[in-house]
Amino acid sequence: MTLANLISLWNHAWPAGMIILGLGMVFAIILLIASEKLKVKMDPKIELVHKALPNIDCGACGFAGCASYAKAVVQNPAELIGRCAPGGAATAAKIGEILNLQISAEGPPQRPIVHCRAHTSDKTYYAVYQGIETCTAANALANVQACKFGCLGYGDCVAACKFDALHIVYGLATVDYQKCTGCGACSRACPRNLITMVPFKHENMLTVACSSKENGKTVRSMCQVGCIACGICAKQSDIFTVTENLAKTDYQKYEPDDKTLSAYNKCPTCVIVYRGKNAPDPREPAKKKAAVAT
Amino acid sequence: MDYVQTLIMAFISVVIVNNLVLTKFLGICPYLGVSGRLDMAFGMGMAVTFVITLSGTLTWMIDYYVLGNQALAAYGLGVTRYVCFILVIAGAVQLVEMYMRKFFPPLYESFGIFLPLITTNCAILGLCLFLRIWEVNTLVTAVVMSFGAGIGFTLAICIMAGIRESLRTADVPKCLQGAPITLMTAGLLSLAFMAFSGMIK
Repeated sequence: MTLANLISLWNHAWPAGMIILGLGMVFAIILLIASEKLKVKMDPKIELVHKALPNIDCGACGFAGCASYAKAVVQNPAELIGRCAPGGAATAAKIGEILNLQISAEGPPQRPIVHCRAHTSDKTYYAVYQGIETCTAANALANVQACKFGCLGYGDCVAACKFDALHIVYGLATVDYQKCTGCGACSRACPRNLITMVPFKHENMLTVACSSKENGKTVRSMCQVGCIACGICAKQSDIFTVTENLAKTDYQKYEPDDKTLSAYNKCPTCVIVYRGKNAPDPREPAKKKAAVAT
Repeated sequence: MDYVQTLIMAFISVVIVNNLVLTKFLGICPYLGVSGRLDMAFGMGMAVTFVITLSGTLTWMIDYYVLGNQALAAYGLGVTRYVCFILVIAGAVQLVEMYMRKFFPPLYESFGIFLPLITTNCAILGLCLFLRIWEVNTLVTAVVMSFGAGIGFTLAICIMAGIRESLRTADVPKCLQGAPITLMTAGLLSLAFMAFSGMIK
């Protein structure tokens, strides 16, 4: 392109540019005046609280994002102050400082526990599922996976997690407690309600990793590691109770001692496992070990 | 008298016969997004009516007096039409946003992202361009038709919101709940409005 071309282009184009520039300036001035006239005074505390929050907009507090939570917490601190799960006690303390409030000691942090421990090799399948690869879709079809209660392993919870703290490991949703912030998105995403938020009083919690309410014989027939409701754990320690063919842990009462350890060791299907940051690998049932050996 | 009659006909035509939402399928985003509750839908309709009237009038003036000016025809200013129109619309939306934030905070909160999204509401840009296609050549007609387009949008979104409020208590099959039934409602409504199409030529 020669210089002459450029000059002729300029000669033709400058009025268009001027019109846009002129319009832009007119609107800039109108909006400038309007923004001064229609200024809304914001509470400076809201801005400070917003800065103190993790700013990840996870929605664990029940508000649309950190901005709306900040606004709500300034207006109603007494009820809303501890709601930020990812920030935890530290954030609550910071907010308390900004709002000039005394915060009483926080409870233990809430973390999710997946109430199933069956990997693909432990489960029984009646058919091959070839539909949409989400748990919600797979859950709508009865009898593809034998167990109606166990983890489906298509990762609806993984998709819901914003912190990369959940992964499907050999067909089982597994929480990475190092990364987990306790926002509870996974527990809302699971169509089988396997994931519950549990107060982690200790670094590792003992849990019955099964949700099956089938009777013992049926469970045995379709899962290597399901709870058969034999009641041995309940005899060892009173933190376990068996209701509706399923042993449950009372997380509020849990304190690690000899009794809970012996329940852990005596569970015939090894369904009682530790979950947490440094949880030991779960025991494997004897039958399966033999099968591997031979 | 004849002139007034033309104006009335133009108004009715743009509200019912050429309803931007239900016959031209423009502005579907807020139409489906903000039609959950009647009061919100009405607020949205009012905001859009304001923006569409202001920007329709301004863009018609720019289009008619500047871009379409015979003296400036050699410069081919028509190419800047879209940019100018969007500029005017964006400015008007900013004004509405500030005004609402000041005087209707609850409405401002509940609109959320849909308020700034009026900028990209194609019903507004569509109307500005339609004014040219329909060969509107007096300022008063342009104002009346822009206002009518806003009223048409409000009408459509309020009918939709009314139906959706009633649908909430209806026994909708599970597979149709949420978006599917909304889209079907929109389709049926648009079908119903097609019946007006022969009313005004």
